[in-house]
Amino acid sequence: MLIVSELAVEMQGFSARYDLAVPRGALCAVVGPSGGGKTTLLHAIAGFVQPASGTLSFDGRDLLPLGPADRPLTLVFQEHNLFPHLTAADNVGLGIHPGLRLTAADRARVDAGLARVGLEGLGPRRPNQLSGGQRQRVALARALVRDRPLLLLDEPFSALDQDLRREMIALVDDVRRERGLTVVMSIHTPEDAAAVADLIAEVRDGRVTSLVPLRL
Amino acid sequence: MAALRLAPSALAGGAALVLVGGVVTIAAVGLVSAAGSLPAVPWAYVRGILAFTVLQASLSTAISLVLGASLALALARRPAFPGRGAVLALLDLAFVLPPVVVIFGVVAVYGNAGYVRDISDAVGLSTGRWLYGLPGILIGHAVFNAPFCARVFLAALEAVPGEHFRLAEQLGMKPGAIFRLIDRPLLLREAPGAGGLVFLLCFTSFPIVLALGGGPGAATLEVAIFEAIMSEADFGRAAVLASVQILCCLALVGVAATLERRPAEGGEGGWRQPRPDRAAALPRAIDTIAGLAGLAVVAIPVAAVAVSGVPALPRLLDREVLDAAVTSAVIALPAALLASVLALSLAAFSRHLKLNRLAPRWALLPRLAAFAILLVPPIALAAGLFVAARAVTNPFALGAPLIVLVNGLIALPFVLRRVEPPMMLAGERWGRLADGLGIGGLARLRIVDAPLVRAPLAAGFATALALSFGDLGVAAFFGSGRLVTLPVLLYQRLGSYRLDEAAAIALLIGVVTFAAFLLARRLGGGLYADRL
Repeated sequence: MLIVSELAVEMQGFSARYDLAVPRGALCAVVGPSGGGKTTLLHAIAGFVQPASGTLSFDGRDLLPLGPADRPLTLVFQEHNLFPHLTAADNVGLGIHPGLRLTAADRARVDAGLARVGLEGLGPRRPNQLSGGQRQRVALARALVRDRPLLLLDEPFSALDQDLRREMIALVDDVRRERGLTVVMSIHTPEDAAAVADLIAEVRDGRVTSLVPLRL
Repeated sequence: MAALRLAPSALAGGAALVLVGGVVTIAAVGLVSAAGSLPAVPWAYVRGILAFTVLQASLSTAISLVLGASLALALARRPAFPGRGAVLALLDLAFVLPPVVVIFGVVAVYGNAGYVRDISDAVGLSTGRWLYGLPGILIGHAVFNAPFCARVFLAALEAVPGEHFRLAEQLGMKPGAIFRLIDRPLLLREAPGAGGLVFLLCFTSFPIVLALGGGPGAATLEVAIFEAIMSEADFGRAAVLASVQILCCLALVGVAATLERRPAEGGEGGWRQPRPDRAAALPRAIDTIAGLAGLAVVAIPVAAVAVSGVPALPRLLDREVLDAAVTSAVIALPAALLASVLALSLAAFSRHLKLNRLAPRWALLPRLAAFAILLVPPIALAAGLFVAARAVTNPFALGAPLIVLVNGLIALPFVLRRVEPPMMLAGERWGRLADGLGIGGLARLRIVDAPLVRAPLAAGFATALALSFGDLGVAAFFGSGRLVTLPVLLYQRLGSYRLDEAAAIALLIGVVTFAAFLLARRLGGGLYADRL
């Protein structure tokens, strides 16, 4: 279970205070107006923003003392998830070894990860030879090989058209069921996530203003 | 048929084109005619000059790239370093100082009567004469090319999206991996472009090599042309050397064009992320060393201009200095004006040809004319005009106008680069509207184009002013003792070891140039539009 409790973040001209609980294995869609604090919430959970006070834990483990690399999670950004000069396979491989020293077994895991997201054989391509949807699939493949129990996605498919968006969200849903992942995904088109989300959290003015269980 | 009517822009542009092409042609004919029948050129001598030119340009480029990359990495890793703003300002300053001022700074620090000599004498070390020759040339070139490389690299490093550093942090990359996977590919991507440009600048470098080379053993092609004409009046050799230089530059530009850089993946994703390797011990140590090396090579000579210039400021009131200041202003202002008018005319002509679909292919012609000027060694241009003028009158009587003309032409490509894009943009946006309303000629420039073109034009003017104000070679060539500009006076004072007078003049030139460049940057955005 992910528990965010009275987590206070102060930034220039913006202050937020979050309360949120997401059961293990659930998919929580975070909705709300842009500028309302959705990204800040995800960045605070991931450890890129230092909260002033409050608590943050996952499965009973306090996350606040941990650096971003040590938290049991992966955050997928809206864009710039891939290094443009590395191949898709190398970008995924970074999830196994951050200095890219990969064994043959690691390479096989990379290929399996790419295959799982539907990119079989596209490992040698560079990001500029991939479509926007394919690039986000690569980022998802990296999250899979990192194998962390909590998956955060910050408006990951906003740049895609609706059909593709729904297809990608369905892929995220499949993967979390297979792996038992807990997923928190911000999204500005809630109707796309309605079919798969267990919870909908609305974030506005730095607060979680409502938490609606759909399927729990 | 509006298209068939001879538009004012076509008239002005055609005139500018004829002027530019005519001057270059006259200079070429003058130089070749003075050579008479093709002289027996000592090819071993030309080979020797060429070999040294390539050697010093290669070494200068390597030093500038390595030093620039280290400085850029240190600055990128430490965005909150307290002296960062001052360091960046110093890099910009070093980059825009005229070579003759850099020469003063280098001599003041490393020369026979310089600070380093004072210190080594005080501690009883004998250093001897080591500066003049290759070491002096390399230091002089590094003073302004290392900051240029540092700026190019830093811009690339700072364009890395914040997500990439968040990603590096989330994945737990060590500083070595961050360098290998994020920084190094960027540096390697930028190095050919920046290095090619630095190589070209060092290949054609003139004042630094003339002053710090210390003799015929260390001459570049450009200096050899100068010496062939000034001390031996051997126009034939000058013509041959100039041809060799033009061919080499053409080849270099051709190579540089193939080293085209991939555009950076644009966009700022979210807010900036401090780099995860900012606190690690190894990068810290490396950055400290890079910072100190940069300080020694770049900062100290630049600071020396201020440090030794300020106490000597009363010397500025000397009669000779005041005269030289007036001469410099009287030459630089019309030269900058000439460059601006030519650039505007050429840009308008180019736009006319392109947007009215008259001859889009010929729209490149004005740019080619400007490019041709970049390739011709200024000294060769000056020498050719000198010979041509000799056929008509006493060329020294035409000294000032010729200096203005040559300086204006040399500055033209830099102004054109700033003015052409906004002119084209104004044409694309409002060209049809203006045509429909019948707004043409100067009225069009004033009413339709001015809002977009005004600031870049002013920036180009300031750039041209700074270039002409700092020019040494052309003024020295035509002045021949009678017309003394500030750079020429500074060079004379350096030659006769009157260092405190030189210090005051160097400071004055430096301040004027830097003011012009600050203005240019304020008006026109980037500083680096100034270099091709």
